[in-house]
Amino acid sequence: MMKKHTACDTCQLNPTSKLKQWGAHAENSAYTIALAGNPNTGKSSIFNALTGLKQHTGNWPGKTVNRAEGSYSHQGEKFKIIDLPGTYSLLSTSEDEEVARDFILFGRPDVTVIVLDASRLQRNFSLVLQILEISNKAVLCINLIDEARRHYIEIDLRTLSKDLGIPVIATSARTKEGLSDLLAAIHQVADGSFQPAKTISFQLAKQTGTAVAAIAKRLHILDNNLSNVNWLAMRLIEEDKNIINALQKGRLSPSINNENLSPLLHSANEYRVKLGDHYRNDLVEAIYAKASQLVKEHVSTDSDNRSFRLDRSIDHIVTHRIWGFPIMFLLLGFILWLTITGANYPSQLLSYLLLDHVYSFLKELTIYLHFPVWLSSFLIDGIYLATAWVIAVMLPPMAIFFPLFTLLEDFGYLPRVAFNLDRIFKKAGAHGKQALTMSMGFGCNAAGVVATRIINSPREKLIAIITNNFSLCNGRWPTQILIATLFLGVLVPAKWSGSVAMFAVIFIAILGIAFTFFTSWLLSKTLLRGESSFFTLELPPYRPPRFFQTVYTSFIDRTLIVLWRAIVFAAPAGAIIWLICNVHISDQSIAQWLIHGLDPMGLFIGLNGVILLAYIVAIPANEIVIPTILMLTVIAVGDSTVGAGSGILFEGSANQVSALLHAGGWTTLTAVNLMLFSLLHNPCSTTIYTIYKETGSRKWTAVATLLPVFYGLIVCFLVTKAWALFA
Amino acid sequence: MKNKQTIPLGFLKKDERANIHGITMDCGQEIRQRLLDLGFVRGTEITVQNISPLGDPIAYNIHGTLISLRREDALQILITHK
Repeated sequence: MMKKHTACDTCQLNPTSKLKQWGAHAENSAYTIALAGNPNTGKSSIFNALTGLKQHTGNWPGKTVNRAEGSYSHQGEKFKIIDLPGTYSLLSTSEDEEVARDFILFGRPDVTVIVLDASRLQRNFSLVLQILEISNKAVLCINLIDEARRHYIEIDLRTLSKDLGIPVIATSARTKEGLSDLLAAIHQVADGSFQPAKTISFQLAKQTGTAVAAIAKRLHILDNNLSNVNWLAMRLIEEDKNIINALQKGRLSPSINNENLSPLLHSANEYRVKLGDHYRNDLVEAIYAKASQLVKEHVSTDSDNRSFRLDRSIDHIVTHRIWGFPIMFLLLGFILWLTITGANYPSQLLSYLLLDHVYSFLKELTIYLHFPVWLSSFLIDGIYLATAWVIAVMLPPMAIFFPLFTLLEDFGYLPRVAFNLDRIFKKAGAHGKQALTMSMGFGCNAAGVVATRIINSPREKLIAIITNNFSLCNGRWPTQILIATLFLGVLVPAKWSGSVAMFAVIFIAILGIAFTFFTSWLLSKTLLRGESSFFTLELPPYRPPRFFQTVYTSFIDRTLIVLWRAIVFAAPAGAIIWLICNVHISDQSIAQWLIHGLDPMGLFIGLNGVILLAYIVAIPANEIVIPTILMLTVIAVGDSTVGAGSGILFEGSANQVSALLHAGGWTTLTAVNLMLFSLLHNPCSTTIYTIYKETGSRKWTAVATLLPVFYGLIVCFLVTKAWALFA
Repeated sequence: MKNKQTIPLGFLKKDERANIHGITMDCGQEIRQRLLDLGFVRGTEITVQNISPLGDPIAYNIHGTLISLRREDALQILITHK
């Protein structure tokens, strides 16, 4: 039994600790380490534990898409470490697999750390065997060992290591168990003090085996230094264009070129034609047979899988024919409810601090510093106020919604939601995982768009990105609730008003879901025509989430995002809003000109010029739409007794707001249309920016931006016409 | 195994155990590869673990993990009952 290492061994505060984390500063590293493994084996947790970086890791396959880089030093040597995308295999040509495979082959890392999930070894060994064919400078990291213990799985690390010829280390990235052993093993393989032995291979069936052996032998004759001739031979028989190209250009061996390779390619081609589909069948069969054998020889499981039974029971309930859906709606509804009600108090507190106290303080400061009045107003009333407003409205719901959502994710429930809803998404030509990105959109559309990375087929991913805006985000809930309360709640007797307002808001949210399905269907029949791509979804084992850490990191993540967004997007919007209200052209401010100009169009679709202008200037942040509308209404009505002055956002009591809006000519129809338009308009500029980053395409960014506005205008127009008909 | 009938995986019921026989001849190349990569190879034991509330997809227990497939893809895989 190896000495048990504790978290202290790798803690930076421990003076005898040999680990120094360097985060993303990866220059001048002595060694390059690649981190490979199946999806959802905790690769990113290992990466984070070693480098001290905080990529969010979740119990969800496919979190790491682009490779992440970081570094650390161990015993005075600096190591660069690259987190490759998780893959099931290296045999196919999907983007993820090519990134991973090309890095191991062409990047020639000094060590490849293969991360496995101790509870899913049989599947994971298949990838191990494939990687070892490419390079045996590897370390096996059997992660999630604490989970495996909980499942009564025992692994004989010593015999496994002997069999594979490489170091085998059991770790638990979450508790830091085994990390110092892992660091030592990586170091030993990197500097050559541990020499990996080539002892393992899978036995290919007769014909396929002969073919591979023949090609491999000829490669060996061309260059007897090539260590992975077997693997290269397999790729040649599969006509892997990348590999053939690399060999022809001399990238893999200086003594192989176009000329001496071509007879080999010719005979590889003959084998391929002769073997047909049998070739790949034989190959994969051999790999899995070997993987099974490894499990049989080195792993013992509790014969009746006592604890897997718990997983099965949970699955039975949450995917139940009758209970599956109610549980799902209750859980997600509960998270939304908790977000909306729970955010009230901290929002008020932040408003009180930022909008009252800090605001007055800054105002006084500018007076003390003798700022000209216009400059003080521009900086504080314009830029500061909009920024502070966004923080006060957006931070609390984000800081509640996302930690809760992340807890469900870490537990492993979210993939079950995708599993339950896939059938409906399939009917709309979309992917089941869109259920998740849609749910996340209820928190923040920009986050929902980033989350579409888990959808690995490009067509379905685009559908999910374009439709995410139809999930009513946290920035829009307060608008919906306020307007529903002021205009719809008052239509019924007081005791019903709360419920009516609530149902109106829920109706809007459900309408959003309907638009998601409708638009997905529409896109898959028009712009994004095509067959539904192949769908697979692994349902990961349930894992008890680490409550405090998840809540803490998720909270910090969201706070940083909200602050970034407030500074980058809301501050300029505040400046523009102030300017249009305070810069006059002849006798009117720009705002007044714009309101009058937009009024005919606004009234035509049952809104008004103020609302349209507010939506235009508040593109950066939905949360300042209401204060902007109020401030612009004051300007339009010309009532100087309400509000705080030209270009200054404000909030009033319900009665004040209601009186002001009625004075501005608002009717029940205006309110209904505003609620609809708040659902159906362009995404906020953070989301637009994120869509552009994720798609890399102006065309799709434009579609995602304009399509909802187009819907909004049409829906408001139709509602206005129908209203006129019935009223 | 020879005298046992092969049926598509899509017809496997809960609590039945089966072995994979292979992938149908008319399965497209890309899907064939993806299925193979996921370990749907001859001789592998497979059972149904969860059926989605709407009947599709179905999660299969294979190689110690749960992989869910849509019905049309599950029909491309042939199995023999145990």
